[in-house]
Amino acid sequence: MRIAVLNNCVPFLYGGAEYLADALARKLQEFGHEATVIRMPVRWDPPERIIDHILAARLLRLPNTDLAIPLKFPVYYVPHPNKTLWLLHQFRQAYDLWGTQFQSIPDTQEGRAIRDVIRRADNEYLPEARRIYTNSKVTGDRLRKFNAIESEVLLPPLLADSAYRSGETGDAIVAIGRVNDTKRQLLLVRAIKHCRTPVRLIVAGKTESGAYASAIELEIRKHHLEARVEFIDRFISDEEKIELLSGCLACAYIPYDEDSYGYVTLEACLSRKAVVTCTDSGGIDALVRHGDTGYIAEPEPKALAAAFDELYLDKVRAARMGAAGEELARSLRINWENVIRTLTGSS
Amino acid sequence: MKIILASSTNVFVRGGATFFVDWLGHALEARGHQVDTLMLPVSEEPNALLEQMAAFRLIDLSQHGDRLITVRTPAHLLRHPRKVSWFIHHYRGAYDLWGTRYQTLPNSPEGIACREAIIGADNRGLGECARVFSNSGVVRDRLRKFNSVDAEVLFPPLPEPNPFRPGPYGDYLLLFCRLAHHKRQWLAIESLRHTRTPVRLVIAGPADPDAASYVDELRVLIARYGLDDRVSLLSRWIPDEEKTALFAQCLATLYFPFDEDSYGYPSLEAHAARKAVLTTTDSGGTLELIEEDRNGFVTPPDPEQIGEAMDRLFSDRALAQRLGESGPERMRELGIHWDHVVERLLA
Repeated sequence: MRIAVLNNCVPFLYGGAEYLADALARKLQEFGHEATVIRMPVRWDPPERIIDHILAARLLRLPNTDLAIPLKFPVYYVPHPNKTLWLLHQFRQAYDLWGTQFQSIPDTQEGRAIRDVIRRADNEYLPEARRIYTNSKVTGDRLRKFNAIESEVLLPPLLADSAYRSGETGDAIVAIGRVNDTKRQLLLVRAIKHCRTPVRLIVAGKTESGAYASAIELEIRKHHLEARVEFIDRFISDEEKIELLSGCLACAYIPYDEDSYGYVTLEACLSRKAVVTCTDSGGIDALVRHGDTGYIAEPEPKALAAAFDELYLDKVRAARMGAAGEELARSLRINWENVIRTLTGSS
Repeated sequence: MKIILASSTNVFVRGGATFFVDWLGHALEARGHQVDTLMLPVSEEPNALLEQMAAFRLIDLSQHGDRLITVRTPAHLLRHPRKVSWFIHHYRGAYDLWGTRYQTLPNSPEGIACREAIIGADNRGLGECARVFSNSGVVRDRLRKFNSVDAEVLFPPLPEPNPFRPGPYGDYLLLFCRLAHHKRQWLAIESLRHTRTPVRLVIAGPADPDAASYVDELRVLIARYGLDDRVSLLSRWIPDEEKTALFAQCLATLYFPFDEDSYGYPSLEAHAARKAVLTTTDSGGTLELIEEDRNGFVTPPDPEQIGEAMDRLFSDRALAQRLGESGPERMRELGIHWDHVVERLLA
């Protein structure tokens, strides 16, 4: 089949969605399809520009294409008779983020009109897709709640097919990934000072702001945690990540309200390690079952510290959770073969 | 400089324009610029033309990049404060082909209004450009005639580095391009029939999707004139290594499509391999490159006269060599190299 993967773009920016779109096209090719990524530029401000780009998507055509797989608002409006949506997210500012500090569209008559256009366009045009999959349960729930549209979850696999290993169960909790305040690494550092065991913490990843890096360093110094907390403030290569996950006690991933399960969660599972997350972390619970594959703790230092201590004190149980995590990940079939078969309707 | 390179694509049809954009992108990057290439889909279905032009117009790139370079129509409708167009062809059904049997829009009030809207939109988009360049004198003249736009001719070079190399001046003439009726492989066979020397002919290239019967006609023609041992017809995709060898060892090349806009890459490939080009007075753009008795021959499209030119080259290898070696000088004279192209586009 000739398959077009449709994605938004902001020129010169390359992030997770772009990587996923490219990986999907590459995998479609490996499975014998002709595949290409079509990127449509979108401008978000001033908010009325959003309407222009909804209209632009609606007016575009997609010739010579057997199947279109759009990933995002507003490029999913591009008309095509055979469209399968793999929804990463709608325009959340018009939905769950309306009324929060992330709203971005003003709460004026004009702003509300823009919000309503977005909602109506979704209600009207999303059902054109023959099938709708979402990248997480959260995205699917939102679609049902706000638009009364049913969908199925299709979890995105790891982007790179790296070989994850399972080594000794160590004595450090590792937190790998971009370091910023929505990922809440500072909360992990604060947890360590409440631990009763000598469990250690390794925070590894590039900080996005100097201020947040300083806050973490200050916290470590203030509570004399230098020997117990290691902060590796730089980009972590795949090799290093595999190594860190292989020999850790468990992995901590506690973002605030994320839609997706988090690639690092899956990477930890494939390294047969337990994962600690929080009750308000969002989609991570696709892979973390409390007491089974890890811990879902309240987002406060003492609760996290208790989880860390339990893992440290019973490494046999920690290892068993890791093994259960791997089994769960495999049973969810988070792999490209499943994704390609599902999206192309050949499963 | 941060450069957005924007063009339109038929999606899954790779042809001259897609390569052109790739090569320009590489040439810009090789000179230290950061390039983001946007290929927006376009269907050539006449009923959808205006809607798609509106879509391009609604996409606003003005927040990004130091420069926007637009290539294939209707990319020049995209909005950007620092826009230049390297215009390679109009939507010809509404321009020079209007009033011919290739006219794509109906001669109804709607068709006429549509044509006027296309011309009006092009005038607006091109009028916003800081500079307009064309890929040939033919297209420059059309821009002047239909849009009152003064364009500078910027001839497209081969990709860099190009793999073509000189070699011995062998005993065959090479006609290397897609097999299609207007490329006139049949004229080469008709001409060979009139030669008095044993010069051979190699016709090579993939057939157009709808050209199977045309290839059969060529085979019939070869058999009818008893030229089987003097003509090789390679009707298939030719791998790069084989292609460069064919150019390296030929006596000279033939390229006489009917009335094309540009000189065609096969002519440049011939010159890169230090080979002369035999073309005809009605071939269009080739006449901008090939000068009689300097870097090739220009004959009327008459088999006897072409046959005579073929014999001259075969009988006088020194002549074939002299003409072939003049090619690179002629290309430099016309500014057919990327340093010139990049310098002009970014001036």
